[in-house]
Amino acid sequence: MAPKLVHVDGFDAVVKALDEHKGSSVVFVLFCGSRTARGVSWCPDCVTAEPIIHESFKKCPDDHVLIHCTVGERNFWKDKACIFRTDARFKLNAVPTLMRWGKPQRLEETQCTDPGLVDMLFEDE
Amino acid sequence: MAASLRLFTVLGPAQKFQFRIFTKLVRPLSSGSNQYDYDLIVIGGGSGGLACSKEAAQLGRRVAVLDYVDPSPQGTVWGLGGTCVNVGCIPKKLMHHASLLGEAVKGAAKYGWDVPQETKHSWEVLVGGVQNHLRSLNWGHRVALKDKSVDYLNAYGTFVDAHTIKATTRSGKETILTADRFVIATGMRPKYPQMEGAREYAHSSDDLFSLQKPPGKTLVVGASYVALECAGFLTGLGYDVTVMMRSIPLRGFDQQMAELVIDNMVSHGTRVLRGCVPQQILKQASGELAVTWQRQTGGPGSAVDADDSDEFSTVLLAIGREPCTKSLNLDVAGVKMNESTGFIVGSEEESERTSVPNIYAIGDVLQDRPELTPVAIKAGKLLARRLYDGATEHMDYVNVPTTVFTPLEYGCVGLSEENAVQLHGEDNVEVYHAFYKPLEYIIPERNHQQCYIKMVCSRQDEKILGLHFLGPHAGEVIQGFGFAVKCGATRGQLTSVVGIHPTCAEEVIKMHVTKRSGEDATVTGC
Repeated sequence: MAPKLVHVDGFDAVVKALDEHKGSSVVFVLFCGSRTARGVSWCPDCVTAEPIIHESFKKCPDDHVLIHCTVGERNFWKDKACIFRTDARFKLNAVPTLMRWGKPQRLEETQCTDPGLVDMLFEDE
Repeated sequence: MAASLRLFTVLGPAQKFQFRIFTKLVRPLSSGSNQYDYDLIVIGGGSGGLACSKEAAQLGRRVAVLDYVDPSPQGTVWGLGGTCVNVGCIPKKLMHHASLLGEAVKGAAKYGWDVPQETKHSWEVLVGGVQNHLRSLNWGHRVALKDKSVDYLNAYGTFVDAHTIKATTRSGKETILTADRFVIATGMRPKYPQMEGAREYAHSSDDLFSLQKPPGKTLVVGASYVALECAGFLTGLGYDVTVMMRSIPLRGFDQQMAELVIDNMVSHGTRVLRGCVPQQILKQASGELAVTWQRQTGGPGSAVDADDSDEFSTVLLAIGREPCTKSLNLDVAGVKMNESTGFIVGSEEESERTSVPNIYAIGDVLQDRPELTPVAIKAGKLLARRLYDGATEHMDYVNVPTTVFTPLEYGCVGLSEENAVQLHGEDNVEVYHAFYKPLEYIIPERNHQQCYIKMVCSRQDEKILGLHFLGPHAGEVIQGFGFAVKCGATRGQLTSVVGIHPTCAEEVIKMHVTKRSGEDATVTGC
């Protein structure tokens, strides 16, 4: 057994995934830029952060869930009216953003590339 | 990294020795003295401790903060950030604001808003919103410490000697840490009286802001600013509230202002019992708390002439606070404290230095210093700069502005009238005052009887010794005037400023009636 890592793409998919895990366990959500044709995210901080976050998450208890959501291509995200920015549940300011769902703990941009901070987010209650 | 790895390791005495050698070998050389684990250990992660530790870390020092919250007698605990963030300034200001909103809604109809006659308030929603904000502040403080490479230990610190501390976690794990210097910033906690039922059934400000169910009919014991603020917002939120005071309200503050605060609270619906001392709290089968008290109608100290009792849903004790110094083992480190009060006495040359040269204290634990968050923050930062940056600036504890967030706010800076008279003599003090009417009170016909300003001046050179403002947004008003008073402004300089019309703050500048003249101090017209 290991903590559960779920990959979803786009707004509807993350809402659905959150709904599926509602109330059952400790849920974290990571928002990153989508992969380009070159196979990596268009967002450099996301490229750095993803392996650090995935590695740190492996230390979590089995009932913890990390929903890794790709928000879309660069132009979609950069639009100030992007639904990830405006939706009251997410109110994202940046990618990458790592948050504990339903709690105020949140890391943004280069904070997500600091293993110490990422560990702390997964450990903090 | 070596230090933080070791923090969570429990070691026996023999291993500890080996481990220390190991960490000494792997730790890169830094500017501090490397015979210790840290250059600085701060005990207490409140406003002062966090500010001091971050400043020291930014100056390149190896710093750790120990923070540990002893559960209140009712079992309440909270996260990093200390009293202000968790059980003080922040939640109380939010609840005060909630109460003011209710007041505004009541008057809104007169301004044309179609609002229901009866409005309902949800305590649960308020507590949820407040607690959520507090949790985000706790997280923010943790991130800030990490950002600045300050090691954080959720552990209780007790001195072993002047350079060694034992850190004990909630689960009982012990770690020994050494430091070149220490800062004690443990703050204060509410006092409990020796009274049957006090610890079992009563709450304090430690519990109120996270109370799961509405407080209902509430007895607030005490007349400290904590007592009056809590009683004020609970009344504003619609609860039946009684304040029980033994002697005077807001001890240490200007007493004319304090009495006006009380008058306003009474007109606002808070019941105030004076000269009363609670004797016992008993829990009834119904779950209500039966409180018995003694009444001294002849004033404090007079013979008890009656016993009285009533039932309340909540009893909030706010009779004062005491410094958290008694279990720090200060004696083994050699730090002197005032044995009866527990306050740490600062040295004459440097207020924040204790009787032990490498151990300092900031914030509420210091004797005779204002117990205020911004004071602790400033003192902590300045201390770190003196210790690690060759700075020479000391904390100036004089003319610190502050505000009591009762429903009608009371802001002040400088001396009370009685202190000014005591210091300078009645003949040498001139007091200007004014009863004014906030413009926005007129249409909804709100009570303005206690809206009052008083400026205490030196009679010779008109230097402002103290300024007292009772009215809406007093905190916002007094902050700027605090700057003037701090700069040594005279009344003449103040009156040379043009007022901003129409505001309450302009009344400070317009004041011209002296108490001595006996003229009517009521402001009329523009």
